[in-house]
Amino acid sequence: MHNLGTVVRFEVSRTLKKKSFWIAALAVPIIVGLVGAVIYFSNKTTDTQSKNLANEHYSLGVTDNSHLIVPEFLKAVGAVQMSDKTTGQAAVKSGKIDAYFYYPTEISKQPVEVYGKDVGLFKNSRYQELADQLLKQSISSTTNPSVRSILQSTVSYNQTTFTSKGEVDKGFLKLIAPGIFLVLFYFMIATFGNQILTSVTEEKENRVIEMILATIKPTTLLVGKLFSLIILALIQMFVILLPTIAGYFLFKNQLSLPNFDLSTLPIDPVAITLGAVIFIVSYLMYTAILMTLGAAMPTAKEAGGFFGAVMALTFGPLYAAPLFITSPDSLIVQILSYFPLTAPIPLLLRNAVGNLPLVPALISITILIITTIFVIRIGVRIFRFGALEYSRKLSLKEIIGRRS
Amino acid sequence: MSTTNALVSIDHFRMDFGKTTVIKDLSFSVKKGETFGFLGSNGSGKTTTIRALLGIYQPTSGKLLINGQPYAVNGDVKLGYLPEERGLYKKEKVLDIMVYFGQLKGMSRSQAKNWSLDYLRHVELEAKSTFRLDKLSSGQQQKVQLGIAVMNNPDLLILDEPTKGFDPINRRLLMDIIEEHQQKGATVIFVTHQMEEVERLCDRILLLKDGQRRLYGTVDDVKDEFGTVVLEVVSDYPIPANEKLYSIERKEGKVTTLQPKANLLMIQRSLTSSGVTYTRFELKRPSLDDIFVKVYGGTTEEKSYYA
Repeated sequence: MHNLGTVVRFEVSRTLKKKSFWIAALAVPIIVGLVGAVIYFSNKTTDTQSKNLANEHYSLGVTDNSHLIVPEFLKAVGAVQMSDKTTGQAAVKSGKIDAYFYYPTEISKQPVEVYGKDVGLFKNSRYQELADQLLKQSISSTTNPSVRSILQSTVSYNQTTFTSKGEVDKGFLKLIAPGIFLVLFYFMIATFGNQILTSVTEEKENRVIEMILATIKPTTLLVGKLFSLIILALIQMFVILLPTIAGYFLFKNQLSLPNFDLSTLPIDPVAITLGAVIFIVSYLMYTAILMTLGAAMPTAKEAGGFFGAVMALTFGPLYAAPLFITSPDSLIVQILSYFPLTAPIPLLLRNAVGNLPLVPALISITILIITTIFVIRIGVRIFRFGALEYSRKLSLKEIIGRRS
Repeated sequence: MSTTNALVSIDHFRMDFGKTTVIKDLSFSVKKGETFGFLGSNGSGKTTTIRALLGIYQPTSGKLLINGQPYAVNGDVKLGYLPEERGLYKKEKVLDIMVYFGQLKGMSRSQAKNWSLDYLRHVELEAKSTFRLDKLSSGQQQKVQLGIAVMNNPDLLILDEPTKGFDPINRRLLMDIIEEHQQKGATVIFVTHQMEEVERLCDRILLLKDGQRRLYGTVDDVKDEFGTVVLEVVSDYPIPANEKLYSIERKEGKVTTLQPKANLLMIQRSLTSSGVTYTRFELKRPSLDDIFVKVYGGTTEEKSYYA
């Protein structure tokens, strides 16, 4: 192990001198700090909102066959007693009342049925919150031990919400189709990001770039790479998905896999189109960013540090997911949704849960498209001037300063 | 500068990198069908000039034209370029790489494949066509890269240090390939500091020093105009100094190159009286090598024949 110390000292000191090391090292705590702050704010908001949901006022009908609910409590929330379940259901369906609770005779054995007007995936939980609160407060107010024992057992709830058209709302199933694009984006960037980066640096490292530049235009090469990478990513995706799907249909009985009835999957064409457009534009933008990064760096190794920072910026907002769902109008969500580098995750997530209105979505998509074009132009410039910089990375001053 | 019939014309080209001026003010032209030696020592600005000519670098000032136009990849002049910085896709198969470049140069896939296989056969690499490039020796890789440069019968062939990394046998093969393209009418710019090849192949030369043109003309003109005749003596004995009769320019083994200052008879007598016997005593024109050494020794004024 002669000279081991010398080697270690040399490697450590030269790495510490690299900006890329410090950018990567500092990016993580900074982004984690920022995200932590967002999460703290998000949790506080979610907690408060959860409490507020139960206290929200809306028109309510109740049928209490359990005879456990204290009538004064029902009065306090403005609930109207209804004779039977069918009337209550119909009243909610037709929009006469906002919600209807049916407490069965044997609460410990039968589920409490909750019906409500659809007010959004997450706000819909207000009905169950109130039904539960009414039951628990009523039981707590009695001294009868057999009734109080219900508190120890698990009470189950069946909630059904109705759309404004009176149809049964599909709830979380609505997330699946538009949510696929969020999963796709994550999958493609996470699995393919590094390949995008190395596709450019590899040519520099192989010294092939000078022959290429004398043969084709840098824009052609860069855009060609961009598309080839998208195609490769799609191929990779299909290679993973197709056997999975085929396996599911071939072996679902043998392996007792759950039966998914795709015909019941809600399809919202607007949400799916928006999701697809956001996904494509976001993926293009990130591919362009990573290629530009590759063009500016002499080796894939050096680009790796910056790649980490880009990834942290992209997926950092995932940690603030509750905020995108519960507080889409908050300032932080608005900033993250409009700032191009952080926009993909909030946009895709908000679109999936149905709180991304069309106009803001189109504005964000426009911003993403403009950013992509700008990044590609910068990328071509860097590629042209930085392609022959085999041993050093270009500074921002050089990129901007060189005449085109 | 005459640009009649010029395929390449460079006019008052200047190139700065930050505060460093690499090329000060360079003008020259390369005629259609000629082989032009672009000479200079390492770092003299040869590669920079070629890169600027091909639009890879943007010149600080001046015009660099190919067939009267700035170089365009899809222009009317077919280019073959062997850069100084060698490299190809190391993880790909030899034939795949050649076909890819052939297609980039406008050949169909089958044309590129057939041409590549013919070339690989010619350079005795046919058996390696399905090998990954990094499984080939560096000399073999050079041959592949040269093949890519000469694909599709280029009108203009720019070879930057083409013999770098070649052994003498492959160097000869390379020269044959270049001559083949000369005969087909290609214009060849030969960037090098290897003077032997220049003497053998080039019609005209330009010697670059410190970003400026120092010599420019045909090989014979440069020799005639530049160098006085030298005297080459081959002897087992050391040649004594004699400032009155000659100066010693160079000594390589038994060969001593003298710059005569008196007539040859007097020099012969002087050597004999000093006890020096020789096997050869011959007047010679200076080689390009001699001229190169002299220019880079800093003793030469600019000489121009086509200015």
